[in-house]
Amino acid sequence: MTILGIVFVGIAALACAAALLAILGIGQLALSGSGAIARDGLARGQVAPAWSLPDADGTLRSSPPGRPFQLIVFGDHSLRSFPSVVAGLRSLRDDPANADLEIVIVTAGDARLSQPALTTLGLDRIPVLTGSRALYARYNVRVMPFVIVVDAAGRVRASSLVNHDWQLAKLRRIAGLPLDSGDAAGVAGRAARQSQAAAV
Amino acid sequence: MSVAVLALCCKALLAASLLMAGGAKLADLRGFAATAALFLPDRRWPGLASTMAAGVAGGELALGAASLSNPGVRWLNLAVLAACAGFVVVSVVGYLRYPGRPCRCFGSLSGRSFGPPGIGRAALMTLLAVAATAPPTPSLVQLGSAGRLGLLAAGLLVAWCAFAAGAALGSGSIAGSGPADSGTAGWRPAGSGAAGPGLAS
Repeated sequence: MTILGIVFVGIAALACAAALLAILGIGQLALSGSGAIARDGLARGQVAPAWSLPDADGTLRSSPPGRPFQLIVFGDHSLRSFPSVVAGLRSLRDDPANADLEIVIVTAGDARLSQPALTTLGLDRIPVLTGSRALYARYNVRVMPFVIVVDAAGRVRASSLVNHDWQLAKLRRIAGLPLDSGDAAGVAGRAARQSQAAAV
Repeated sequence: MSVAVLALCCKALLAASLLMAGGAKLADLRGFAATAALFLPDRRWPGLASTMAAGVAGGELALGAASLSNPGVRWLNLAVLAACAGFVVVSVVGYLRYPGRPCRCFGSLSGRSFGPPGIGRAALMTLLAVAATAPPTPSLVQLGSAGRLGLLAAGLLVAWCAFAAGAALGSGSIAGSGPADSGTAGWRPAGSGAAGPGLAS
């Protein structure tokens, strides 16, 4: 190989690296841009597709739910890449203020494949349902984890891509779900402090 | 020496661009075929536009890969120059006849339309191609088999990445294949806009 040949290899490698970086940059922009994010999910107030799906034990779960609210998580074992979301889901599940809320995880494939990993993550007691790519398409979900909250009438209350627990909390407020215990305590505390201040 | 290095830089940049454009076009052949159909005199055969689109995408890939892995072959530089001149013609005709219509030069990776900026970019590529036609004597830019294979692999990697990104952005095939990038994906409350294309219900 000649000296110029070696130089060309270096230059070409740099050009390829620059092209790869450009592709990554375009992908990142497309994923984080408002236009791209707004493309997914369902609009608030829209009637969500109804379904009836088996969980890993074979029990049928359905939407619209039997409870006032249903939080549908579109995801699978890849949730392990989002520890903050996992923590948020555990918190939602364990909070006694959420008696009206049913949480389900809908996978695009066989739920039995994802169930062990999700159990290891501490997401046991949250039904994992065997969905399909067709169902994802009906919900217009193309990236995971994606969360859609529906009410008992099957209407969408909130819909969002979720990467962090604070997004879950904000989604919950937008959906009009009851405040969790922490928030309720905070509200009660603020109210008490305000009444004390008023008395003084 | 510096002129030779400059020419090689132009050559490498153009080859990488061709590979990226070819890969992205392949991922959005249907969309690119719609653009190709604009330039056909008779639109009664939609299959012809698809064939033309596939041919252009494949040609760009082949030209990019060959140019990248064979820096000493001069006729490839002329072929790249001819392709870039073709891009200028397409950009000008597209701007004159279909201004504002998407050019899909990079498939779903780019939302650019036919317009003066597009003509400028094509002209810039042509200038680079002209500069790349003045390389040093071929015997000075000899590569071994390992070097050629390495460059070919790097070029194919670029094309494949462009294809994968174009497919994901164009048809939304991310779901089901893994998580979105946690560092970049954002958040949107529902109700802030209409649902995207492909909504079934």
